[in-house]
Amino acid sequence: MSTRKSDRFLMQALAIVLALLALSPFLWLLVMSFKTNAEIFHWPPRLFFPPTLDNYAALWTTDFRGSFANSLIVSVVSTVLSLLIGVPAAYALSRWQTRSGATITLWILASRMAPPIAFTIPYFLVYRYLELLDTLTGLIVIYLTFNLSLVIWMMRPFYDQLPRALEEAAWIDGATMWQGFTRIILPLSGPGLAATAILCFLFAWNDFFFALILTRTEAMTAPVAVVNFMNYEGWEWGRIAAGGTMIMLPVLVFSFVVRRYLVSGLTGGAIKG
Amino acid sequence: MTDLRRRTILGGALGAPFATLAAPAVQAQGGKPYAGTTINASCFQTTYFTYLKDYFPQFTEKTGIKVNFTMQAFPVYNQRTDLELSTKGSAVDVCNVTFIYSGRWIGAGWFTNLDTFTTDRKYTPAEWEPEDFAGGPQSAMKNGKGQTFGFTWEAGAMILGASRADLIDKAGLKLPTTFDELIKVCDAVHNKDNVAAFTADKLHHWNWIPYLMGSGGAVFKAPPDNLTPTLATPEAAASAEWYANLLMKYGPDGLLSYSDDQSMRSQMSGRANIRTQAITWMVPLAKHAESTVQKTVRYGLMPAGPKGNFPGSNSHGLGIPTGSKKKEAAWEFIKWALSKETVAMVVKDHGYPSVCRMSVIKSPEFKQVLTLNGQDVAALFLEVLQLGGKTGYMKYRTVPVYPQVGDKINKAIEKIATKQQAAPEAMKQAQAEAVQDLQKAGIKVDL
Amino acid sequence: MTSSRPAGQAAGFALAQRRFFAFCVAPSLAVLAIITLLPSLYLLATSFTPLNLTRPETAWDFSHPLVSYRQLVVDERLANSVWVQIKLSFWTVSLQLLIGVGLALLLNVKSRLLEALRTVFLIPMVLPPIVVAIIWKVIYTPDISPMHGIFRTIGWNVPALITNPDWALTSIVIADTWEWFPFTMLMVLAALQMLPQELLDAAKVDGASPWQLTRHVTLPFIQGVLLVAGLFRLIDSIKAFPLIYILTDGGPGSLTEVTNYYSFLQAFNFSYLGFSSAITVVLLAATVVLSWIIIRAVGWGVRVD
Repeated sequence: MSTRKSDRFLMQALAIVLALLALSPFLWLLVMSFKTNAEIFHWPPRLFFPPTLDNYAALWTTDFRGSFANSLIVSVVSTVLSLLIGVPAAYALSRWQTRSGATITLWILASRMAPPIAFTIPYFLVYRYLELLDTLTGLIVIYLTFNLSLVIWMMRPFYDQLPRALEEAAWIDGATMWQGFTRIILPLSGPGLAATAILCFLFAWNDFFFALILTRTEAMTAPVAVVNFMNYEGWEWGRIAAGGTMIMLPVLVFSFVVRRYLVSGLTGGAIKG
Repeated sequence: MTDLRRRTILGGALGAPFATLAAPAVQAQGGKPYAGTTINASCFQTTYFTYLKDYFPQFTEKTGIKVNFTMQAFPVYNQRTDLELSTKGSAVDVCNVTFIYSGRWIGAGWFTNLDTFTTDRKYTPAEWEPEDFAGGPQSAMKNGKGQTFGFTWEAGAMILGASRADLIDKAGLKLPTTFDELIKVCDAVHNKDNVAAFTADKLHHWNWIPYLMGSGGAVFKAPPDNLTPTLATPEAAASAEWYANLLMKYGPDGLLSYSDDQSMRSQMSGRANIRTQAITWMVPLAKHAESTVQKTVRYGLMPAGPKGNFPGSNSHGLGIPTGSKKKEAAWEFIKWALSKETVAMVVKDHGYPSVCRMSVIKSPEFKQVLTLNGQDVAALFLEVLQLGGKTGYMKYRTVPVYPQVGDKINKAIEKIATKQQAAPEAMKQAQAEAVQDLQKAGIKVDL
Repeated sequence: MTSSRPAGQAAGFALAQRRFFAFCVAPSLAVLAIITLLPSLYLLATSFTPLNLTRPETAWDFSHPLVSYRQLVVDERLANSVWVQIKLSFWTVSLQLLIGVGLALLLNVKSRLLEALRTVFLIPMVLPPIVVAIIWKVIYTPDISPMHGIFRTIGWNVPALITNPDWALTSIVIADTWEWFPFTMLMVLAALQMLPQELLDAAKVDGASPWQLTRHVTLPFIQGVLLVAGLFRLIDSIKAFPLIYILTDGGPGSLTEVTNYYSFLQAFNFSYLGFSSAITVVLLAATVVLSWIIIRAVGWGVRVD
């Protein structure tokens, strides 16, 4: 679109103002995590205050550290598992002309969109018998419900774009189907795989509901730990802010890396960003 | 006992790697059979365990057991623990038996019979003296057969605390002793010196009931035998409206979302004046290092209504969930946490008011540390406990369905306070929902 | 003879291919069946029992299979929660579409600055939902809220929003809109980038004003995307949980208690799992229907050979 210079300047100014406005709640929390409690209750807020790391230090000496580690383990393992199981399926579903395609798509989409409580109730009941409540294994399994679908969903449109001629050429040269997939297709899927892996990680990392119901102490993840903390020390705002900041840090870094794939990840390739 | 052993063996099989780790420790440590064990304990947020946490190293040194203690806000604790107990899981080894859930939890068989420990000298020496626990509070921890499922650490007694009594003096008034006086005092001191006159927390089904009973209302017809709710009576509606008005007219902004801790903080920071709550939440006003009202706080009995004075009293105990796989170590913890020595220590060092060990309550030290700002708060405490024991008006709280009915009460008070519904409609709806809920739980209701 | 061999080979090849594809798909389908299909069936079965964990005998009691569904129909609090859900969904989806389109149009200009800003606008969406809830808890708590601070400074006496009946739901709507407007914005931006330049040029030659361009060319072009974005947000809005859990706990009263939240309370606060399962079955059915509509709208999995 060609726009006049003054218009262009106005639009940019407006966009900057809006961005600042939209980000201010987030920035406020970030800044709060470096304030002492007295500073937090101070109004009007001082622009320059002596920043403190006490909130982080105090948090790091509590059980929060363990919860943070739990979050990491659960997110990584569920991501790896989902990729291992899901990627071949995504490839096959992309190449395979089958009439049940629509049904499978509906199934995958619905399990991705289902309200978490629909899985939580049966999982909660069954985990009581399997002794999987409050275990990392239990969480990893339930995270597969959305991450496995996510992998199939994101990788399938990705493979749709790769020309069939690639693996067909390999087959003609005498490669087996499996070799065609592992030697030709997989190496080409690098960017798609990376983006999918990061999104899987983020979804598992961001989960709150499943962990709230299915964990107690041993397997508690960071988001639940922060909320517990919030309930317990309702006035330790600095530490609450520090906890929130620590949870969002990996998310921000990773999202920045995969920002181009975010939309197709969330919509299953309906829209390519 | 056999059941206990079998569970331990099962637990050992599942926790095999830990068992092998712990085994050499047992041999090496001789007198500390549970050395190397870590137990998980939890309770709602309370000053008793905040204080006690500082002494945990002593326990670990003595027994070799590590304690992982978590605390949550009262409603959150109850909800999560209820869920955990219902699974008979092993995530928690020691936890609080909450007063309003005691009937439900003990009745459902979710706690371990502690008589097996107290009667066996191998586990408990004679001088520990389970009989030393005050009988009234302890009764909530027993089932119909008289078996004990928890030992009490808290005998809650509701009193009135005014963080800025100086403002009341200045208005030429005294601490309120009746509902009418309470309103009069609130009117006189509200927003004086930027201090709201009244504060409370969102647990209306505990805070409001004394006002309800004082006005001639009740929650159930005749608990524990007849649990027909009586929430839609004219007395109940009038009292609910009166209480909602008290909160909204004289409370600080945002009061409806206050947890018990936040409410205490509003008093401690001098932003709100009067509160009627369990004594545990009141003593920190005089004792807590961060309190700005140490010099101005004053205590009194819960105000009386036209139909009498019904200050809430309750008790909380420590118990061992049936699913725990470390029951012996858990008992070691309870034994230590509620021993005469430990209880006396917490009283002495922190002035913790609402303990249940008679030997401690009767000691001169108790009276001494509970003399706050020149007032004998120990006497207040005993007076409330006696009131509660006399007529048994607290029975409404320990029935198994109280959590659900209490939720209806909370919602109704919120609706009235925020003017979504007039009091009679809100209470009528609460009544209908409570009846529906009781029927869902399979309880007979006469209509 | 000679002609049949390649045909046989081709058939063999097709068979091998099918086998290979089946081999690739089978683990996923098997795992999905175990972790999603079985639990759904279990949920359905539970909804036909009055399961209550304090009474273990209720676990497989199918003597009155429809008892929960019957309670569901007469439960006024449930009806209220559906109404709250409708209001919440309507406002959040509409606002997100509106803001998303507005911002996308603003940012759809070739400029390095604006492209960088697109990334900045993404932040609310990628934050963990629980952090979003904490952020808004801070903003809605008068003592520490910058918003209330500003109001106080300019002399407005604004009550605590989340405990105020007139504002509680609105405050959730605001927080949810903030969290998810980037999603619609991104989708619209992506669609705008596929808008053929010729279309715009042709309209310009005809003398269309920028407003007319937007109204008659751009908007019709992105209609389909808006529908899909709206549907995605609609389904997601049914799942609203962390914001409500942290900010209002469904209150004051039941003003912000959506169906999902009510179901959670019934199951995990009062252990009426049978009753809660019945509610959830209905919610799940709604999700499946909406997903089906999306698939129709987008046309995935439907092969046109």
